[in-house]
Amino acid sequence: MKRLLSTAALALCISAPAQATEIDVAYAYSSLFDPTFEEIMQDFTEAHPDITVNFRTTYEQYEDGTNTVLREAVSGDLPDVTLQGLNRQAILVDRGIARSLEPFIEQESDFQKDGYHEAMLDLSTFDGEVYGLPFAVSTPIGYYNMDILNEAGVEEIPETWDGIVEVCQKINANTDHEAIFWYWNITGNWFLQSLLWSQGEPTIADGRFNFDNEAGLKSLQTMEKIFDGCEMKNYSNADARKSFSSGQIGMYFTSTSSVGFVDSNKTGDWTFRTAPFQGIDGPPEALPAGGNAAMLVSDSEDPEVLQAAWTFVKFITSGQGAAAVARTTGYIPPNKAANEEILVDFYEENPNKETAVKQLPLLSEWFAYPGDNGLAITQTIEDHMESILVGDVEDMEALQQQMVDEVNEMLPEPEGS
Amino acid sequence: MSDASLKAPSLLPRLPRLARPAVRADTPEASRARTGVLFTLPAIVLMLVILIVPILMAGVLSFTDYSLGRAGFDWVGVQNYEHLLSRSAYRSMFVATLTYVFVVVPASVGLGLGAALLISSLRVGGDFYKTIYFLPVMAALLAMAIVWEFALHPTLGIVNSTLAAGCDIGWLRGLLTGAWLGGDPAASWYGQGCADGFPLWLGDRDYAIWTLCFIGIWQAFGFNMVLYLAGLTGIPRELYHAAEMDGAKSGWERFRLVTWPKLGPTTVFVVTITSIRSFQVFDQVEALTSGGPMKSTYVMMYAIYEKAIQQNLIGIGAAITMVFLGFVLLMTLIQRHLVERRVHYS
Repeated sequence: MKRLLSTAALALCISAPAQATEIDVAYAYSSLFDPTFEEIMQDFTEAHPDITVNFRTTYEQYEDGTNTVLREAVSGDLPDVTLQGLNRQAILVDRGIARSLEPFIEQESDFQKDGYHEAMLDLSTFDGEVYGLPFAVSTPIGYYNMDILNEAGVEEIPETWDGIVEVCQKINANTDHEAIFWYWNITGNWFLQSLLWSQGEPTIADGRFNFDNEAGLKSLQTMEKIFDGCEMKNYSNADARKSFSSGQIGMYFTSTSSVGFVDSNKTGDWTFRTAPFQGIDGPPEALPAGGNAAMLVSDSEDPEVLQAAWTFVKFITSGQGAAAVARTTGYIPPNKAANEEILVDFYEENPNKETAVKQLPLLSEWFAYPGDNGLAITQTIEDHMESILVGDVEDMEALQQQMVDEVNEMLPEPEGS
Repeated sequence: MSDASLKAPSLLPRLPRLARPAVRADTPEASRARTGVLFTLPAIVLMLVILIVPILMAGVLSFTDYSLGRAGFDWVGVQNYEHLLSRSAYRSMFVATLTYVFVVVPASVGLGLGAALLISSLRVGGDFYKTIYFLPVMAALLAMAIVWEFALHPTLGIVNSTLAAGCDIGWLRGLLTGAWLGGDPAASWYGQGCADGFPLWLGDRDYAIWTLCFIGIWQAFGFNMVLYLAGLTGIPRELYHAAEMDGAKSGWERFRLVTWPKLGPTTVFVVTITSIRSFQVFDQVEALTSGGPMKSTYVMMYAIYEKAIQQNLIGIGAAITMVFLGFVLLMTLIQRHLVERRVHYS
């Protein structure tokens, strides 16, 4: 209902002037991004009255978004602009659905000045060409209920997972609150990839699952330590988020994207703080970038439509459009100009949202598993992580070997072998 | 008018002529048969297009590794079916589906019959109870699933917070922990819940499938009740009078000798439809557990959705679909068999 209403509201905002160019746009996670697009569209309609934007039904999540576009490509009904998960761009480029943005970037005289900088564009660059402009970027962070931590006798937030486990044990011993929810099953094995990246290891190297090493084993052992040492329960994320917002869980680890949710749903009088993600032996060396990027998937050959779509893509990823992302969600706009010029005061007033900005230098690729079985592999890895959580597996080395074997069997044979 | 358009319909009447060669083409019987075939043609075409052809296509795809969006596919033989038998995830799938069916069908049929008997014996207030029991059937299950999600939240939900509230009331706690029987309060289910928190109804594999079964029964039995109420109105009062004259004095005897046999056809129908609907359970699973924890609620419909829609693996999804159709077909055949053996006295 909420989605319907907001879509209707959006449609009303965009009353079309005569002979406007129409473009179709679709994005994911309506509960997070509806307010963002409402705000953006007010400015956009003012700046570009000659472009009419039709929003399609929102995708439930990123996997749904990718599948929808794949289906639409078969049936010839693609939107002009789609917002895709950062780890799902490659498949659209591989299948020739996404258009290269290079011809449009060439026309722009001050593209660098608009705040697009190399590291961010790298996330959407394939074979040397830019295919997407990141729209909302997230990194994993920790959410803390400082009242529970203080009650347990903890003043400082530790920098390693061992430290977090000690905090858990203090919370379990000294308070009657749940200690932790660590969102192990977040989309795309994001947390497993975070543990690997925090040790400087990519999840996929040369087309194989890069898990048959010390870093892989340490990741599994760290997870076991957190699940067992903290006596973490198998909450669903939705339940955990509600519990944390109502002050019942001490620590909650997830993407920065939920800061907005906690801010607006917080009940009770307690101090909410966020802090950077922990590492295994010290601060993390790198972290996977979550979030989504705007891609041009139009099958129109009309240059006016393409130009209008590009105008929209550029508008939402720079300047006030990008700033709206930070103001309405917990995501950060991957745009230097927006972060450093427009949003300076905003971050001073909202330090909880700044944690992710501080982690920007660590930003690295969020891997999608290549091949037809990509999504099935994500599920397989998730199933194995769950077996640690429910205590079915004791031997982490055996589990590591099993995961490596299963995943590599599902991956396509690397080329040239 | 071309020759072709005149000839085209004349191909069809050959079917009956082949079946009954004795009838000559120009007899009234043949002409009637021809018209008959023409009349059923739209239905046959529709059935072919929207039912038979898709099933055949799914059958063909189940022998391939087709993935949505890819140009071609490879034949993989019975590999998909082999996986269904050998992989532990699919074993969990059969366990979850059959558990659900064998719990929900007897319970919701039994409760439906019980409620119908009780309501039909009421002089006043029958409509009130009918409405209450039928409400869950009318409600959209997906919306209801969200309500259940709130109710079953581990700490904030009404179920666990009510249970937890009982812990602070001394006599109630004593009663529920079994302390009055001399048991050890800390060892009982309730005592443990008070100490370590009450179960995650949807997040604990020892509970999740039973919780879904409970929701399934809650949702289904009102429908069965209505069917049984309809069945009950069809039993002539005279039969009860006759049974009483023949010596069936107790209510149980009247039920055993008159009501139950006369409800035979209704029961066959109710059991079949409930079984098929239980095999099809999906909404609650998708909304509440996504097949977890540890695949304990990984029912067939959800598996088809996960493989074919979420993961784009059409081949394996089609194979599960074929097995699913097999189950449903089996249910239907059993029903036909029972109906043909005339379970009812008429």
